[in-house]
Amino acid sequence: MKFKKQIFGFLDMLRFTKLVPNRRAALAAGSTEPLPKSWRTNELARRLHPGMMDVELTAVRQLAPGMQEFVFRRLDGGAFPFFRAGQYISLQGIVGESIVSRPYSIVSSPREALAGKLALGVADAGFFSGYLNREAKPGDRFRMSEPSGEFHYETLRDKPQIVCVAGGAGITPFVSMARSMAEGDEPFSMTLFYGARTEAQLAYKKELDALADKGLRTVYVLSDEEKPGFEHGFVTAELLEQYVDPREVTYFLCGPQAMYAFVAGQLAKYSLPVKAVHKDATCCPNLALDAPRTFQLTVHVRDEVFMMPAREDETLLTAMERGSIPAPNKCRAGGCGYCHSKWLGGEFCIADGRDGRREADRKFGFIHPCVTYPLSDIEIDVPASE
Amino acid sequence: MSAHKAKAYDAVVIGAGNGGLAAAIRILQGGFSCLVLEKHDLPGGFATSFRRGRFEFEASLHELNDFGSPEAPGDIRVLFRELGVEEKIDWVRIPEAYHMITTDGAYDCVMPFGVQAFTDKMEQYVPGSRKSVTEFFELCEEVRNAQAYSTSVNGKTDPSYMKEHFPNFIRAGSYSVNEVLAALKMPKRAQDILNAYWCYLGVDCDRMSFLHYGSMVIRYITRDAWMPKMRSHEISLALETRIRELGGDIWYHSPAAKIATDGGGKITGVVLADGTLIPTRHVVANCSPHVVFGKMLDANAVTERMVRETNARTFSGRGFTLFLGLNKSAEELGIRSHNYFIYDTADSAKQYDMMRKVATNHVQATVCLNNAYPECSPKGTCMMYFTTMFMSDDWGNVTETDYFKAKDRIADDMIRVFERETGCKIRDAIEEIAVASPTTYARYCGHPQGVIYGYETGGWDSLMPRLMMMDEDAGVLPGLRFAGGYAMRSSGYSSAYVSGDISGRQTVGDLRKEAQAK
Repeated sequence: MKFKKQIFGFLDMLRFTKLVPNRRAALAAGSTEPLPKSWRTNELARRLHPGMMDVELTAVRQLAPGMQEFVFRRLDGGAFPFFRAGQYISLQGIVGESIVSRPYSIVSSPREALAGKLALGVADAGFFSGYLNREAKPGDRFRMSEPSGEFHYETLRDKPQIVCVAGGAGITPFVSMARSMAEGDEPFSMTLFYGARTEAQLAYKKELDALADKGLRTVYVLSDEEKPGFEHGFVTAELLEQYVDPREVTYFLCGPQAMYAFVAGQLAKYSLPVKAVHKDATCCPNLALDAPRTFQLTVHVRDEVFMMPAREDETLLTAMERGSIPAPNKCRAGGCGYCHSKWLGGEFCIADGRDGRREADRKFGFIHPCVTYPLSDIEIDVPASE
Repeated sequence: MSAHKAKAYDAVVIGAGNGGLAAAIRILQGGFSCLVLEKHDLPGGFATSFRRGRFEFEASLHELNDFGSPEAPGDIRVLFRELGVEEKIDWVRIPEAYHMITTDGAYDCVMPFGVQAFTDKMEQYVPGSRKSVTEFFELCEEVRNAQAYSTSVNGKTDPSYMKEHFPNFIRAGSYSVNEVLAALKMPKRAQDILNAYWCYLGVDCDRMSFLHYGSMVIRYITRDAWMPKMRSHEISLALETRIRELGGDIWYHSPAAKIATDGGGKITGVVLADGTLIPTRHVVANCSPHVVFGKMLDANAVTERMVRETNARTFSGRGFTLFLGLNKSAEELGIRSHNYFIYDTADSAKQYDMMRKVATNHVQATVCLNNAYPECSPKGTCMMYFTTMFMSDDWGNVTETDYFKAKDRIADDMIRVFERETGCKIRDAIEEIAVASPTTYARYCGHPQGVIYGYETGGWDSLMPRLMMMDEDAGVLPGLRFAGGYAMRSSGYSSAYVSGDISGRQTVGDLRKEAQAK
């Protein structure tokens, strides 16, 4: 075969020899305008995903017994990222010797965040939340991750009508979702079943009632009180059927594990597909061990090496926090992958049902310290903090 | 962490993407010390995966070109062998080349791998195409051989040797795909079907160099394509593991902020955002010259040449991908192909034009991974990813408050077009959904405007002159070389690994020369 474009093949060859001079000339003819430092899309990415933010607590108020609201502003005075209602942030502070982070659902709407105000509702239920409820005061400074998480509505996946079931402090993401719906940023219509022991323990009742004329239907369900205007007992299938067609909605659940198990039992008879029910993640707890052993944890961060004790009943992340290592973390539930770390040696186990690693992570020895407990002395390489 | 001076390295690689990882292994294999800096918490750049519910999605790889079987390896398998990672990865072969549909109703064709099978199938679709398609592949074969020769001499080709051994390569070398196909007298419909791969290179066939396209097509058709079973994350972790085995270091959450120089145009180190200085004289940048010369390099070391040459270049497509986890099997849903190209028109120049605007772009390159690797998701489910590109900065007009809705609108359109064109109803089966927009790509990899294909290889900046000017281009700052989608080989997985291989080996050459000079 002989390829020719021009009738005389040498003209084709001549053109070939011009490729380099042509490119050389085009490069040299480029503008001398200074190169751009950024682009619109990259700026949007930076606003939506600023990474860790320095924040200041501006207000604290009581929501219910043992539960307070904390309002934050950014130290640089800027906007918080616009986010998907239902998402959480991870709040990081220093308690004693430890650098501690915990994920909390955002209560504010995405538009409130954009206006520079971000609120969390935190129940006094653990180490950091106890510290916040008892000691945090306006003016205190913290670090906060950007909003994260997949617990939010998806227009192309979920039904137009959603049922949200909140247990106690699990109301927080739904306040944000209801506000966002009222602001026109979410297309769903929402029926909220809000369970608590007594009326006094209902946080955000006033705010939720005020959203009634903006399309929110709230059903309060009290387990320990019988009152007019309130349902009594638990969120049962019978109760659901009074308000919605349980087969034609998408469920969002946020509350304690016991509530998830109870609601799952109630929904069982409808044989719903997996996609019909979304549960918010919960922090990975300590293991209940009678006499937990303590091992040595060796942590590499870039070119530094740290050693610290690690208890058998606590995650490697907790051990690092006790050791003042600012190890990256967000969800503390095994799912987000932000603490993705290289395992270098030693034995470990992963909390039941929380192995959110990718397949190849298991093959090549990577772990998520937020859900991993030591079973011997152990050595890992973790990313630097942001 | 407080600012400090780290130990010195012979070379620092900025970015653990495909090119950066390959470059680091080459540097370490050359006997030199190497540190890889990565801004994210994972290696791989776009070559990664992510989990949603019971699905683990492939982030970007559609099929690895030029891989070939263990017995008849392609260049990339050979490279992976040399890097020492081939055996670390479980591979699966892609079953067919592509399923091309145009929504104007003109085409609905399924093309196989293998020159004979491809040519036969084309003759079925377009009677009378056999001769020109056969000649096309002969020409491609010569292109491949010429490029293999060029690579073997590091781009310093001997013109008389070229003329003697690869005359057709030279005669076809300055023309576009469509000019060459017309010269081969290929029937128009056969040209259209043959051009389906164009979106993988992101330049329409009026402007794309024939050499570039031909060398890609022949690699796909003769060596078929492969995938790692555990998504591309498996490749990235295999390369990462290899770096550690060879004594290299890799730091995550460690974006390079500055490339420091001595004031005389010599690199002295790389500086992290927290001020940590890593002394080195050699950098392989797995990122764009726009970022390196516009932001990283000491301002007083930025020359007029750097500015002119960087400004002269054109960004390629900005990426958009929809990921779906479906709660029915591909079979139940009637999805039969692995790899769909759905265009509005087979006229690539017209199509390219429509892809400039978000609103007029309905192109999709769609993969149903289960049709290559049925076990990639739980039994009774399947997963798909739909990719498109925007050929201008139109996405930059999206505002924060419209951001999530804008993503939904395009995702909705992709599903609508796929359902309409294939008849497969997938909407009700959506169990998991994720969308990566140009903003997402900008966030994870820092690329300008969310570009996923580096600089466009159309017109004067096509592949061949880039390769021939490799040395000249590297002269812009001695000690600095590029790898990945913005480097000489342009974008795509295979090309990125090859550019990392080239720049890694050349950095070893630089280091050896430097050692000899001392």
